[in-house]
Amino acid sequence: MTLAVTPDTVPEPLHVHLHQSAIRQTLALARRSLLGRLRQPAVLAPSFVFPLFFAALSASSYSRVKNAPGFPKVDSFLQFGLAAAIMQGAFFGATSAAADLAVDIEQGFWERLMASPVRRTSIVIGRLMSSFVIGALQSAVFIGILAVFGVRIRSGPIGVLVIVLSASLVSLAMSTLMSTFAIKTGSPEVVQGMFPLVFVMMFLSSTFMARELMNGWFRRVVDINPISYLAEGIRGFVIERPLTGWRFFEALAIPAIGCVLALGLCLRALRRRLAQM
Amino acid sequence: MTAALHADSVADRQVARDPNPITVIAFMVKRSLLRIRRIPAAFLPSLAMPVFQLVAFGGAFAGALAYAKINHALDWYVPLSCMQGAAFGAMGLAFATVNDLQTGFFDRLRMSPGGRAAMVYGPLTASMVRAIIPLVIVSVVGFIGGAALPGGVLGLLTLAIAALGIAFCASGFGLGLAFRMRTLAAATLTQFAIFFALFLSTAQMPLDFIQGWVKPIARINPMTNVLRLAREGFLGQVTWHDTWGGLLALGILSLLTTVYAVRGLRSFDR
Repeated sequence: MTLAVTPDTVPEPLHVHLHQSAIRQTLALARRSLLGRLRQPAVLAPSFVFPLFFAALSASSYSRVKNAPGFPKVDSFLQFGLAAAIMQGAFFGATSAAADLAVDIEQGFWERLMASPVRRTSIVIGRLMSSFVIGALQSAVFIGILAVFGVRIRSGPIGVLVIVLSASLVSLAMSTLMSTFAIKTGSPEVVQGMFPLVFVMMFLSSTFMARELMNGWFRRVVDINPISYLAEGIRGFVIERPLTGWRFFEALAIPAIGCVLALGLCLRALRRRLAQM
Repeated sequence: MTAALHADSVADRQVARDPNPITVIAFMVKRSLLRIRRIPAAFLPSLAMPVFQLVAFGGAFAGALAYAKINHALDWYVPLSCMQGAAFGAMGLAFATVNDLQTGFFDRLRMSPGGRAAMVYGPLTASMVRAIIPLVIVSVVGFIGGAALPGGVLGLLTLAIAALGIAFCASGFGLGLAFRMRTLAAATLTQFAIFFALFLSTAQMPLDFIQGWVKPIARINPMTNVLRLAREGFLGQVTWHDTWGGLLALGILSLLTTVYAVRGLRSFDR
């Protein structure tokens, strides 16, 4: 009798139930976060408008630079600039997502969530999932709009998929990193104040210009900046036809590693914050 | 003794009744400078960003500029960064004005016998004085980085005129918006206006090298003339040919933005 009852009651059904519950909680919080961001077009708009403006501006200002010796073979500077637009969109979006989290902390919503029977990790991961989705949406919009102006993805449909996935991972990694600061400080001002630093890192990379046209100490900084590899990974799928393993590594593995590292930092910050509560 | 006291009090009353507008403007400039010391976080971005931009643009776009026959990128970007620093410092004054409007300090200023003109010309003058700080710092960083100045002292003078002039215009535009909107959105809009005005010109590349939609805009954008004025001493000798367009553009922009600010104050009074 005992043998017949035990497997049906404990512990497996409880374990499965908790697991499913954690997934449901994560998805529910991800949905809330995503809707929250989509309902604030004024906050979301800069991460769409500014990258497109910069792409259009650079395409016109640097159009003749595509003929410079050493510059990668491209149809237009706009084609070269697509990766920069995607990176900027991801970085802008990550900052606003982390600032939202800091607002939740500042206004006490975060503490109410913590007091509720929701898994702690679901609270963090649920919010970060929205960045993943927004990153995909942004990159798809950028690819679509620039396609109207003649930008084609040389690597074809697989390349488009990889670019969208890469953009999502970059967005997720940056959002997770910025959320670490949000959890640590609970201050939207501090998170917004971090943006110039992120912007600095982006400019000290090959996001906006080909590495081949740089030299001196700046080139050495660009060579060791991981953002250079992220941008070049995405750009590789835009401007190159044969797909190489290195490009897949740059576009997918580097941001994935970034996600794991940033998530580790974020959960550590969460544990510390919980210990202080 | 009594006579002396009497004379002092009469003099005090005269000052209270009819303060010299220049004295009031000087006090407003002093207040603006004290604000930098008291709230450095509000002013530091207008210093840090141009310096960073100088380093980042100078490195990232050096190859692109070399292709456009400009051998040293800093010669191209020092004047741009100086102007941006000056303009963003002026935008800080729009923030300060909005803050004064929201805290009620501005109402006290309006009730004081300082005169309406000082409420506009005070911040306008302050913006030019504040612009000297980013102008000096960005120039020094540029020269340390290897920027050349074949135009000599005249080159520095044209750079200073361009930077202070842009600070004046940005401040006038920011004040006009602040008086009309009375919210921080005025400062944000000022920031956008400065940004778009600067970058839709020859900020990044010489006019001959620009192709497409930016070229016709850059050609008629007065900022192109102002940038030419600022850069001429860095790219060669100072000539009247490269100077007069910038001076004319600054003169017209200064006039328009001052009128915009004065009319904004009038609409605020109503």
